[in-house]
Amino acid sequence: MRTHFDVFGLPRAYDVDVPALEKHYRELSLQSHPDRVAQADARERLKALENTTALNEAFKTLKDPVRRAFYLLKLHGVDLDREDAGAQKDMPLEFLEEVMELREALDGAMEKKDLARVQTMGGQVQGRRKAALDEAAGVLRALEGGGPAEEAPAQVRKASHALGRVRYFTRFLEQVDAFEEESLS
Amino acid sequence: MSKNGYLQIHDPLKPKGQAVGIDLGTTHSLVAAVAQGKPRCVPVDEGDSLLLPSVVHYGKDGGVITGARARTLAGEHPTDTIASVKRYMGRGPDDAETRKLSHYKFVPGANVVRFDVAGGNPVTPIEVSGEILRALKRRAEAHFSMKVEQAVITVPAYFDDAQRQATKDAGRLAGLEVLRLLNEPTAAALAYGLDKGSQGTFAVYDLGGGTFDISILKLVDGVFEVKSTGGDSALGGDDFDRAIASQVFQALGINEPSPSIVAQTLAASRKAKEALTDAPEATVTVGGQSHTVKRADFDAWIQPLVNKTGLVCRRALKDAGVAAGELDGVILVGGSTRVPAVRRFVAELFGREPLGDIDPDQVVALGAAVQADLLTNEDRQDEVLLLDVIPLSLGLETMGGITEKLIQRNSTIPTAAAQVFTTFKDGQTGLDVHVVQGERELVEDNRSLARFTLSGIPPLAAGMARVEVRFQVDADGILSVAAKEQSTGAEQSITVKPSHGLTEEEIERMLLDSIEYAEDDIQARQLREQRVDAERVLAEADRQLREHGTLVQGDERAAIDAALAKVRETAQGKDYLKLKEAVHALDETCRPFIERVMNQAITQVVAGQSVEDY
Ligand SMILES: Nc1ncnc2c1ncn2[C@@H]1O[C@H](COP(=O)(O)OP(=O)(O)OP(=O)(O)O)[C@@H](O)[C@H]1O
Ligand SMILES: [Mg+2]
Repeated sequence: MRTHFDVFGLPRAYDVDVPALEKHYRELSLQSHPDRVAQADARERLKALENTTALNEAFKTLKDPVRRAFYLLKLHGVDLDREDAGAQKDMPLEFLEEVMELREALDGAMEKKDLARVQTMGGQVQGRRKAALDEAAGVLRALEGGGPAEEAPAQVRKASHALGRVRYFTRFLEQVDAFEEESLS
Repeated sequence: MSKNGYLQIHDPLKPKGQAVGIDLGTTHSLVAAVAQGKPRCVPVDEGDSLLLPSVVHYGKDGGVITGARARTLAGEHPTDTIASVKRYMGRGPDDAETRKLSHYKFVPGANVVRFDVAGGNPVTPIEVSGEILRALKRRAEAHFSMKVEQAVITVPAYFDDAQRQATKDAGRLAGLEVLRLLNEPTAAALAYGLDKGSQGTFAVYDLGGGTFDISILKLVDGVFEVKSTGGDSALGGDDFDRAIASQVFQALGINEPSPSIVAQTLAASRKAKEALTDAPEATVTVGGQSHTVKRADFDAWIQPLVNKTGLVCRRALKDAGVAAGELDGVILVGGSTRVPAVRRFVAELFGREPLGDIDPDQVVALGAAVQADLLTNEDRQDEVLLLDVIPLSLGLETMGGITEKLIQRNSTIPTAAAQVFTTFKDGQTGLDVHVVQGERELVEDNRSLARFTLSGIPPLAAGMARVEVRFQVDADGILSVAAKEQSTGAEQSITVKPSHGLTEEEIERMLLDSIEYAEDDIQARQLREQRVDAERVLAEADRQLREHGTLVQGDERAAIDAALAKVRETAQGKDYLKLKEAVHALDETCRPFIERVMNQAITQVVAGQSVEDY
């Protein structure tokens, strides 16, 4: 299978030089975009459409550290974007408790229309999200670095727990955003 | 949503005359083309105006009038004269937009707005826009003495799929191949960027007659990358006019105004609004009564609308990950950015004075012309590239009327997503899919784009048949869908029912109906071509007579003069066949004389002179 890394001719790794990636993306776009073959025959235009669609998907995934982490995890066989993913149900109990608490606190603040409180909570969750992502990044680096094979399953589980938290915090922050926007309008 | 299968890709193209860029605006429409390396707008209306008012009048005799002349008919024939039709593109009769203050008669029912106008059947916004495009195409053809069959047409960046598809269909009805739907702010940036060869991050704030758009773009090494876009496809100068009109109705105690009074008041309010840009107060007169509006009052009435644009701008900046202070420039586009309160607001919002050196009326059309040139002119292809985004998320309806997002807003296009559906009953052979566009959680709060049925699924136990549906968004921002059953690999047929659009059959029928027009078009074109031919022949005859007049014999001169006069006279007329005959007759009459001229030339060559002197 052609990975997003292959599209850019990059080795599979957690760390990506984003400015260099952006430059490469512009160059590849200039070559493959449908606009470059607007007057060519249907087959060539279809090919340009497909290539550019794949290029855009690869760029979107690799330039963003969060998407990149989820993608690497998927290459290790755990797709957290699928609603039926077993990994989602498999989160540690402490985390589920933490989630319940946060949930109740946010609902309470939103009900009271307490924008300041909601924003403070947003700030805190932002910090936790960063910590979870850093943890996932550490594990993914080790995984891609090619450690002993027998440690891989445990590490994949660790990464998927960390990213499960990132995912939850991201949704939380989206709700904070929506509330903020609503109160400002 | 594209209706003819997976991808709307046409057959190989031959060169097709002059490619143009068209700004199909709510208030005004323009057409421009690149000639001698520079984009220029073409005169399209009375008095060589570059702006064609986007107004279409339907006469009782079935005739159609566009532009300034149509606008003068609005007061007298309010329901047969359609202005601001762009606001109804891709909309249904029950949309909030359709129910705003207006002077039209809508045909109830159906999923597409239909205007009840004189002279035949009700017309859809697609047909009305088609008339505007057809008028622009004709005038451009006359201007260039060349066919015009390929166009880049601009749309508000915030247009959803249904509005884009409607615009593309309108192009088809007008006999245009739509090379690309280009987002208006991106077009403006292209016009600016090429002029200055600049690099950096820009915001384009476009407030026109009917729509508001904001785009944040980054320009590096010839690539225009749209980072984010936002807007409101139902917010513009028209709403400022309505704000004034409602206040005037209130002040004058007019409760249930007739369509004609509404049309007159809206027109008068617009005049007053434009006057307030330069004057502290203006007067609106309705049916003999007058009301004076002060600028400060006007500013207060439109404040909520202007504030709405601010929220959208902040969200776009956030989506782009750019702070206002990091911008290298703010570009103003659209007639409504002339309103002083809007200018002040934008300057404050972005903390800098906006740029406005290119005429805000023309800048979008000029950018579209540049893009048309980039797409058709091989020599220019590697100069610049536009990378645009989809303005609103695309999703599917899931259990309980919840939207599941498949493609996030501000994803660079072209883009695609796939979703696997499984059957939930034994032996189930069909599946219904509902596609929506928008950011809201509940399906009913988003725009319904289309429903379709996946049919021909092999009858298997529940959950065994898995159908993969692929959603592809092309570079126009238009969605198409393809489906495959995974166990058999069979392509599934899809019947798309656009929620607020016309079906392929309806478009086909409209195309057939317009063949009559197409014949008119062909006649007009042949007449133009024949006129060019006639001019060439006349000039040549004059030259020969001037230089070799001594070779005319006997009463030849009278016959030649008569034939010349005949050509000049028929060239004024409209019958290209008569003109062709006259040109032919002139040729015949001149033949003996021209033969003598040639003979003399040959004699002189023998004597050592060059034929080229002739
Ligand atoms: N001097 C002025 N002061 C205030 N408003 C003006 C002035 N000149 C034009 N306008 C308003 O600008 C609007 C038309 O702008 P423009 O021609 O850019 O819109 P458009 O391109 O037709 O619409 P859209 O881009 O929304 O489809 C009208 O509402 C008109 O009244
Ligand atoms: Mg405009």
